[in-house]
Amino acid sequence: MNLFASKDDLIRWLDSLLQKHIVVAPVRVQGQTMFQPISKVEEVIFDFDNTTLSPKGWFLPPTETLFSVQRDDGKVELVPTLVEHDAVIFGLHPCDAKGIALMDGPFLQEPSDALYRERRSRTALIGLACCQVQPECFCTSMGSAPDDPSNVDILLTEVEDGYIVQAVTEKGKALLPKGLVEYKGKVPTPPKLQTVPTKEVISAMRELFNDPYWEQLADRCLHCNICAYVCPTCYCFDMRDYADKGKVERVRSWESCQSPGFSLTAGGYDPRTTKGERLRQRFYHKLLYFPEQFQDVACVGCGRCVRDCPVNIDIREVISNLQQVTEAKSGS
Amino acid sequence: MGLESPFIPYLATLKTATQLTPDIKLLSVELEGPDIRASFDYKPGQFALLSAFGEGEAPFGIVSLPLQRDGLEFAVRRIGTVTRALQELEPGDTLGVRGPFGNYFPLEDYVGKNVIVIGGGIGMAPLRPVINRILERRNDYKELLIINGARTPQDLVFQPEFPTWMKAPGTKLELTVDRGDEEWKGRVALVPDVVKELAPSPDNAIAIICGPPIMIRFTLARLRDLGFKDNQIVTTLEAKMKCGLGKCARCNIGEKYVCQDGPVFTLEQLSQFLEQP
Repeated sequence: MNLFASKDDLIRWLDSLLQKHIVVAPVRVQGQTMFQPISKVEEVIFDFDNTTLSPKGWFLPPTETLFSVQRDDGKVELVPTLVEHDAVIFGLHPCDAKGIALMDGPFLQEPSDALYRERRSRTALIGLACCQVQPECFCTSMGSAPDDPSNVDILLTEVEDGYIVQAVTEKGKALLPKGLVEYKGKVPTPPKLQTVPTKEVISAMRELFNDPYWEQLADRCLHCNICAYVCPTCYCFDMRDYADKGKVERVRSWESCQSPGFSLTAGGYDPRTTKGERLRQRFYHKLLYFPEQFQDVACVGCGRCVRDCPVNIDIREVISNLQQVTEAKSGS
Repeated sequence: MGLESPFIPYLATLKTATQLTPDIKLLSVELEGPDIRASFDYKPGQFALLSAFGEGEAPFGIVSLPLQRDGLEFAVRRIGTVTRALQELEPGDTLGVRGPFGNYFPLEDYVGKNVIVIGGGIGMAPLRPVINRILERRNDYKELLIINGARTPQDLVFQPEFPTWMKAPGTKLELTVDRGDEEWKGRVALVPDVVKELAPSPDNAIAIICGPPIMIRFTLARLRDLGFKDNQIVTTLEAKMKCGLGKCARCNIGEKYVCQDGPVFTLEQLSQFLEQP
């Protein structure tokens, strides 16, 4: 059953959630829209294009301490980082919710990643359906939709004077405020999106591994890593030790397969020495290896990499090109 | 109460550190806690991640055998910051161990076969438990031919064990170096050329190789010339690795994760990878 919350209801609800939860919501920070823990409801913005970064950082922070090393009289103790709070992510779009569902694949696969697992189980997702889309959006081609409720606990859809409230999971139901009335009005039609044909992409990938296409495409790549930084599903990471004033921590941080040295071994050997090989790795991981392992492509069609790439490398174009190149090959 | 995090290493104590070559030390390590010691079961070819706290973590093949109750052994070559820190540890110091990870050499499948073990430099490390397991169960296997190469005579890794290997029945140890010295009376030749010269028969044989990528590449070619099929050639891959759990994606190569699907692959398997390691 769909419920209705007026704008005032919503603000009161968020305020009550703040009493017992960390609420992570879109806020404006120095001209960017970011998901961040809020201290008061007034900080939240409700009308925004896809945020600068996806909310994946709540579950896999850009940098986090996995454990600290304490030495007491020569005896070493490893003290793990703990997850101590329940949280709510408010206002994420369906594409970003799907990004989180995809990250569950590697991180919840046994042996599961303890910090990710704890944050995931202690965080509820309140999604916000998109009532407008950006020129880069293509979520419907990637198995989601502007009004897709499948990866959130509660989905809100903006209507005149308020929001339709759809509790999707039990976790979502438990968070609902008391006293919301049933919504009996019309559910707005979601906005239409451009379509990127993806039907043949996986079989095309199998054919084109050694095609010159990748070096040509990478010719203009600056390996700046912004694509991985803004991507809701890029999850490669690095682990290093930091020692400062006698304090030692093992730290994990985001890393990108576009970095030179990503696969360089201590002995000096690197299986990927060219930009083409590295760019190919990113697309193959997303469009072939990940689907083989977790049965879904690791792209949600949020368009952030398209929006932010300084040299206009466009995953939509890559997906189309791959299918065209295979067609041309099989036709000749 | 801490989380059961797979990123948190077991604590261990360095028992002994033996200089094997100018840049390789054999570290003997004892895990803290009898339960952990008892549950840490592994097979030849598996690896562990060693932590030098404050410097970081890196993967190493386990070079001991599980029945060696006196500890885990690792051959660590000084090549970067983590390996330098591990080499600087003193007996009694604490280090971290995560593992065992990865697959292993399926030695049960090689029972009744001639085994050719070909190692170059520190590439002998993962092969040492293979040799010692075969010698431990000597009657299960036919001829054992060990071809061990290094840059110079003093870089040959497991020299204290050479007399045992040479004396073992049905076992031949062939040494070679890229550059000799005044005392060296043995071969001065590259490993692939020694393989060509000795020309082991592919009949009922399995060849296990580990070494620098260039040595592996040319040795594979010589073995194929001799008639070895791709499923008779086994190697173990080196890859950049961080988590050991198939998550960080650093060791992802083609559809495979070296840390989980490997590090041991037959040449037949490797040739089916989309991306060549």
